[in-house]
Amino acid sequence: MKICQVEGTLVATARISGLQNRRLLVVKERGSSGKQVAVDPVGCKPGDWVIAVGSSAARDAAGSKDYPSDLTIVGIIDYWDETARASESARTSA
Amino acid sequence: MQIFRVVSELVTTKRNFWLSAKPLRVVEDCFGNLEVALDPIGAKSGDFVVTIGLSAARVAAGNPKITTDLTIGGIIDHWDEDSWR
Repeated sequence: MKICQVEGTLVATARISGLQNRRLLVVKERGSSGKQVAVDPVGCKPGDWVIAVGSSAARDAAGSKDYPSDLTIVGIIDYWDETARASESARTSA
Repeated sequence: MQIFRVVSELVTTKRNFWLSAKPLRVVEDCFGNLEVALDPIGAKSGDFVVTIGLSAARVAAGNPKITTDLTIGGIIDHWDEDSWR
């Protein structure tokens, strides 16, 4: 599972029928610069730190084996202090 | 899922049986890397799209037997270069 931060919602009106009317969110994985899109069955706000599953587990996590998702949010992390963690890892690597 | 921009269409007359007659698109990511994606919805050049990868790409194509690892899932309504890069 990946730790990601939610950036905002993504609106895509023209979509394949398999995606249904599920909410899509733009997320940024911790420690990487690229943005990804995840299906959100949980209900997250922008700024939330979340855990997301990939590969075929993402399909099951979205509700059914036939749902076409490769990244699905499975939980919102209650407490996550990114600045504290970043300084901690800098200290251990030094 | 990832955000790509459609660059152009791609025509391959001689192809694997399980790719059937679905259209293909050349797409680029935010770093300019090119990939080929199956397009079941009809995206135009310049459109920003959400793509589905891994095994879910085959489900998204409508038939799990279709041999693809990247399928366009939707056209994004509002997106610009600044939020992309």
